[in-house]
Amino acid sequence: MHALERAAPAQPADHDLPGGAKTARRSGPPRNLTAWAFLAPLVVYLLLFYVYPLYRNVDLSLRFYTVRSFIQGGAAFAGLDNYIAVFADPTFFRALGNTLVFTVVSLVFQYGLGLALAVFFDRHFPLSATLRALFLVPWLLPLIVSASTWAWMLNSESGVVNALLGAVGIDQVNWLTSPTWALTSVIIANVWIGVPFNLVILYSGLRAIPPEVHEAASLDGASGWQRFRSITFPLLRPVSAITLLLGLVYTLKVFDIIWIMTKGGPSGASTTLATWSYQLGFGSPVPRFGHGAAVGNLLIVLALVAGLVHIRLQSRREAR
Amino acid sequence: MTRWKTGVGIVLTALMLFPVYWMVNISLTPADRMRTDPPDLVPLHPTFDGYRRVFAEQLPYLGTSLLVGLATVALTLAVAAPAAFALAKLRPRGTRVVNFALLIAQMVPGIIMALGFYGVYVNLGIVNQVWGLVIADSTIAVPFAVLILTAFMSGIPDELLQAAKIDGAGTLRAFRSIVLPVSRNGLVTAALFTFLWAWSDFVFASTLDGGGTLRPITLGIYKYIGNNNQEWNAIMATAVVASVPAAVLLIIAQRFVAAGVTAGAVKD
Amino acid sequence: MTRSRLTAGLLALAVTASLAACSSSSPEPGAADGPLTLWDPYPQLAADSDWAKAIEACGSASGVRIERTSHDTTDLTNKVLLAAQQGAAPHVLVVDNPVVSTLAEGGVLATTEDLGLDTAAVEPNLLDAGKLDGKTYGVPIGANTLALYYNKAVLTGAGVDVASIRDWASLTAALDKVKQSGKKGITFSAVGTEEGSFQFLPWFWGSGAQLTDVASADAVSALTLWKDWLDRGYAPNSVIGNTQTTSWQEFATGEYAFAENGTWQLANAAKSGLDVGVLAIPGKSGGTAPAPTGGEFVTVPVQADKSRDATAKAVVTCLTSAENALTTDTALSYVSALPEVQAKQVAAKPELEVWVQAVKAAKGRTGDNLGTKYPRVSEPLWNAVQAALAGTKSPQQALTEAQAASAAK
Repeated sequence: MHALERAAPAQPADHDLPGGAKTARRSGPPRNLTAWAFLAPLVVYLLLFYVYPLYRNVDLSLRFYTVRSFIQGGAAFAGLDNYIAVFADPTFFRALGNTLVFTVVSLVFQYGLGLALAVFFDRHFPLSATLRALFLVPWLLPLIVSASTWAWMLNSESGVVNALLGAVGIDQVNWLTSPTWALTSVIIANVWIGVPFNLVILYSGLRAIPPEVHEAASLDGASGWQRFRSITFPLLRPVSAITLLLGLVYTLKVFDIIWIMTKGGPSGASTTLATWSYQLGFGSPVPRFGHGAAVGNLLIVLALVAGLVHIRLQSRREAR
Repeated sequence: MTRWKTGVGIVLTALMLFPVYWMVNISLTPADRMRTDPPDLVPLHPTFDGYRRVFAEQLPYLGTSLLVGLATVALTLAVAAPAAFALAKLRPRGTRVVNFALLIAQMVPGIIMALGFYGVYVNLGIVNQVWGLVIADSTIAVPFAVLILTAFMSGIPDELLQAAKIDGAGTLRAFRSIVLPVSRNGLVTAALFTFLWAWSDFVFASTLDGGGTLRPITLGIYKYIGNNNQEWNAIMATAVVASVPAAVLLIIAQRFVAAGVTAGAVKD
Repeated sequence: MTRSRLTAGLLALAVTASLAACSSSSPEPGAADGPLTLWDPYPQLAADSDWAKAIEACGSASGVRIERTSHDTTDLTNKVLLAAQQGAAPHVLVVDNPVVSTLAEGGVLATTEDLGLDTAAVEPNLLDAGKLDGKTYGVPIGANTLALYYNKAVLTGAGVDVASIRDWASLTAALDKVKQSGKKGITFSAVGTEEGSFQFLPWFWGSGAQLTDVASADAVSALTLWKDWLDRGYAPNSVIGNTQTTSWQEFATGEYAFAENGTWQLANAAKSGLDVGVLAIPGKSGGTAPAPTGGEFVTVPVQADKSRDATAKAVVTCLTSAENALTTDTALSYVSALPEVQAKQVAAKPELEVWVQAVKAAKGRTGDNLGTKYPRVSEPLWNAVQAALAGTKSPQQALTEAQAASAAK
């Protein structure tokens, strides 16, 4: 947490932004006080519900935990030994590499497809609202069901995907059971699950752009693509940024899909930091809670870095 | 003119929903045909055993899931909307700290959150209570809801709030009668995902409500996942049956994501 | 705050309330100290199942109401660890046998000795799976193991006589004939979990290998056998990701000659409409390979408040008694852990004979003088199987690394 507190004031101060500055001039309670009154429920909520689990995760990662000491207490302090052990494990670089590939590829496709679909649905046409809602149906399925369905479809022997590929003369692909394809397969399933999220948020973002802006542009004779590039896309930037940031955080965390489809295998081919963390802590007959928590914390650090980049980019844009 | 778009839309939706169709297909397939090679593209020998079991056994779970989903939405929005307003428009000192805390909050692995909650709940004696599950489920959504609502609310023109000030409205009035209605798209979006997360959560449900009298559908499915055997047509049938009421809710909610609310409000 | 303090508080409340109400209705049996909690991994057995009824009956017989909660089996382990950490473990816990040693090592479970539970009637090889450092931590509710199911029609079509299958060579020859006839050979589960190790062990032990040295030449020959089957197309590539259920679904299509699967599939075999036989898994050069024992143990977690232990013990004794074991094991499609009940099971269903013999020949996974080290071997072992079958490492290399990994911890 220290890093955050130090990071915050280092940023350009935010109180000189338009909305706020004007409010402050008004008589009545000072702006900061009103603002914090609105924020109070959230702050209380965060303190109540997140601080303890976070503290737990840090504590777990700094001690030598066995099953016995996990239950009975009294685990010895390990300093950074768990982290060192994790870094020394050959699985670490494998998992890190897989995580980066999984995250970047998933994000590119989820966002790209989501945006394309959002633009497509932005113009009303018969049935558009219903079809758009149907895109969310995948989210209604418990992950155990959707991930299992994907595993079913991608099964090397009896899967429908191989059956369809076979019909056009492509040989059996061992989607889930060959080291070459396993990561691709879980990425495909993850993109499928992520597209609706991107579609809905980006669509709502598009809807929030006043139509007058578009009307003015078309009067100027701008083509569809030009309008999208020079007007829609820039106006969508705040929503895009948050969608990507959230997508990043969620993708880093994804574990159920991979766990259900491949268990991170075969032989580590689809292991990411998230599945590894789970496997170390809870998916192994010899739980290594300390190592699992250490990997979990490394993931938090990764997200933090992404958050810093996000904020840096945002403030640079605001400064412009 | 837009007929072709409907056509393309239907094709895209069909592609997207193919896995869902496949799930329906499996739910109707008898166990001995589930792994035929090549697979049956349509259920040639449909069995309704799965559905018979689901209707006999799963309806109470479904009710609980709806209740948990809606209650989680209410709690999440109650916490997130005012906070997002503050972060987007009032921007007090420390905004960035809060934003950062939200980001980290989202990264805590679910199992660790469950572990923390479980300890607290056991000590308070509220394990297996449905509202305990609602609180836990909301933690998946609150950081998301705040961030997404902040993004939407920062798009509200300041003139709008200025106008309210001039009319003599206090901050609370402005929030209630201007910011909230204008942020309808954002609120619906946040509500949708909150509902969906609560609906499909398994880790919290199992840890915190595994023995409760009111249990959600994600635990109901586990009736069909035995120690050595999984009854896949019943599992898939549960998912199909469970997604119908929720899909109806989605379609209704989607209609609230309307065009140009912001612009409309400026004109009025 | 501990559970006992909470219970005491509730108790005080209850007493006050009942005094105030001065009610004439007699309290429920055992209501004074609340219901006894029992957790099991059988969510598929509903409240009206024989198992649930047996629990209820055992509760009444022991003078308590039992509150039963079911969890998915993998989830149950995590749940118990969390609950034990918070001093909120159930009074009675039914749990998969490989987990018993882990929980015992964590100090979660009471020994049968401390509880005064009598385990003399139980088959010793089954009891072994619940032992740690010479102490027993529960009573098996029943047992299952692995054998080869075969499809008679497929074998006849391929011209294979089951009686000719005596060792690995004759089995592989049979698989070849089946493949020639246009059908598929054998399906099993080599998934990257305990299930994968469980399924590999009959071949591992059948080669003469010991878990204390997973890189021995014998062990390599077992993994090479599986690898060759995949390479020659006798077994499908999907086995790398198959759970035992998936593997069974493949067999149920009627395309496969053999499936390595467990006792619990008997009921499904009858339902499948296929003419199915069962064959003990052969050893490398003949005889029957020892298969691992499966099935759950009824255990009693350690409580801060010892006052309920006697009742918990009574419930465990009742649940594992001969009468109840028969209904429970029939419901679960298990072989009983008690010889007298096994005889009854065979009398009622002669096709169980093969399984009773298989269970008698089976070995606890904690055998080979391994004790609690089994989990330390099991994970590297299934990783090695995965690596070899997926082709990332040779069987020799994969097992050598597994041996190093299991020795390191």
